[in-house]
Amino acid sequence: MGPKLDAILFEAAQPVPFERAWAAQRSLQQRLLAHPEGPEAVLLLEHEPCYTLGRGASEAFLRFDPRRPPLPLHRIDRGGEVTHHAPGQLVLYPVLNLQRHGADLHHYLRELEQVVIDLLAGLDLQGERIAGLTGVWLEGRKVAAIGVGARRWISQHGLALNVDGDLAGFAAVVPCGLSDRPVGRLVDWRPELTSQGLRQPLLGAFARRFGLDLRPPNPQEGLQGW
Amino acid sequence: MATHEIFMPALSSTMTEGKIVEWLKKPGDKVERGESVLVVESDKADMDVESFNEGFLAAVLMPAGGTAPVGETIGLIVETEAEIAEAAAKTPAAPAAAATPAAVAAAAPPVSAPPTPAPVAVPAPVAVAAPAPVASGRVVASPRAKKLASQHGVALDSLRGSGPHGRIQAEDVERALGLTVAVPRVAEGSGAAVVVAAGANGAAAAPAPAGEAFGRPGESVAFNTLQGAVNRNMVASLAVPCFRVGYTITTTKLDALYKQVKPKGVTMTALLAKAVGVALARHPQVNAATSADGSAMSFPAAVNVAVAVAMEDGGLITPVLANADKTDIYSMARTWADLVARARSKQLQPEEYSTGTFTLSNLGMFGVDRFDAILPPGTGAILAVAASRPTVVAGKDGSMRVANQMQVNLTCDHRTIYGAHAAAFLKDLAQLIETNPESLAL
Repeated sequence: MGPKLDAILFEAAQPVPFERAWAAQRSLQQRLLAHPEGPEAVLLLEHEPCYTLGRGASEAFLRFDPRRPPLPLHRIDRGGEVTHHAPGQLVLYPVLNLQRHGADLHHYLRELEQVVIDLLAGLDLQGERIAGLTGVWLEGRKVAAIGVGARRWISQHGLALNVDGDLAGFAAVVPCGLSDRPVGRLVDWRPELTSQGLRQPLLGAFARRFGLDLRPPNPQEGLQGW
Repeated sequence: MATHEIFMPALSSTMTEGKIVEWLKKPGDKVERGESVLVVESDKADMDVESFNEGFLAAVLMPAGGTAPVGETIGLIVETEAEIAEAAAKTPAAPAAAATPAAVAAAAPPVSAPPTPAPVAVPAPVAVAAPAPVASGRVVASPRAKKLASQHGVALDSLRGSGPHGRIQAEDVERALGLTVAVPRVAEGSGAAVVVAAGANGAAAAPAPAGEAFGRPGESVAFNTLQGAVNRNMVASLAVPCFRVGYTITTTKLDALYKQVKPKGVTMTALLAKAVGVALARHPQVNAATSADGSAMSFPAAVNVAVAVAMEDGGLITPVLANADKTDIYSMARTWADLVARARSKQLQPEEYSTGTFTLSNLGMFGVDRFDAILPPGTGAILAVAASRPTVVAGKDGSMRVANQMQVNLTCDHRTIYGAHAAAFLKDLAQLIETNPESLAL
């Protein structure tokens, strides 16, 4: 393995509204587009409850009127169908220059899955892939959803891992458009887990998989409103 | 005047086709250099595709919602506003995304050749210049492409390959030279694949015959290797006592399922192969074949459904979907896309086209209402699948309704498979497709 790549970690202690995290990603993406050789970045956070739709997502998978959503609903620039975010779900948004990581979007999706599989292995849980259904599964339940977008190989969006949050919000949608596949959360296998306690292990698995050296932002690297 | 093509980019070495999620620009819109023009999706990843050239979007050759093979031209950019109408006029109307005939996996939509002489030397690179081999900078090109390039003095490293993994194909060189481009296409079915040809200058091209022909009037053309191999197999079938059994299957529910799973990249071919695989697992006699010496019935260890695919330059090949009864349709659809792409570039390994235990031949995409197929050697049966079409159906009580129906026709080797076996298999297959197609998606 070569020298580790410099990457800035932005972490939010409190749940973040979706727009704020999205704006932060876009501004980090803009920085890398302007300076492709610059440091990569990753956001680790939990969201205030909301729903998001991928750019090509079908509203048929919403079990509510999209004009009157029960929670904020965002159509965003990632691939994939509808998903739900809420506290207790760890969200990781890597803003990477994928040219440094193989320039292959399918490979990138598999690597994100592997981050979660590595993390679960450390908890003595066997996360699985299901061919054709991107995400990570535990005993047939989807515990991590993955969807990414990229511009000139600079990524945004990423993965959402259900740890100890309330899953009730998923009932109002068909997550990822898969009606016959239930959603799960880690606390149902490992009752002692908390999203707070799993933050460092998740960052560790991510940094190892992508060969990154995570560090806090320098003063001049701060994000407005972060 | 210069026209720059926008190609379907390779977002991954394992990507064979991509879906256009959205055109961010309309034909006629001004496009800045580096500006995003459209969004392509493959799996759960989106990529903005940017223009490398400043100009105007002249034509959208594949609308949003449509899927195009990697390397295919999906849009055109011209340099001045005055060129828009000219470029657009020479462009065939974009196929409607939803125009696929019901119940059949249509072959890739018509490919348009560049409507204007491609700029000599370097075609416009795609914004996302992914396919250039990442690690080594080595240029991967087909032998024919290398030969053409050296004959015409084209620098291969200036070209963008449209083949698998960005491999440079002969037509990429031809395109760079502004020569007539015949885009090879593979139809899913044993019918002749369509070849879309265009003269370098529309007017100069001779009127093309509507049907494909391998030779010109008055010529005698030798069979190529693949055609010769098919011929031997077809003649060998004359030594097999075959009979045929037909069945009409209502596909209304299957069509509804197809609509649901199509956005996930599942083709009708994958659905049909899965249905046939599941039915074969329950009817092992129909999956069996007479042994080569004619002394025994051989029962294969797996259900491997081969699907006939016509090759553009003649002959056909039968890529195999192994364990079709046990593989989920999503994996199967991806495997199929990969097999077809590699069949097109003649990169299939023998075990990928010679291990079928049952064959499927689908001419539905051409609107054929019935046909029968010749039994490939070494197998016991082949199913010919015709188009599904809205049909007035009479009920036993005298009621009438309209339902989508397709005819299938099973050719069997009577030494191993008897009429009752064939009938029971078809009845079961029909029941699966008519009443419980959702189970195929599990």
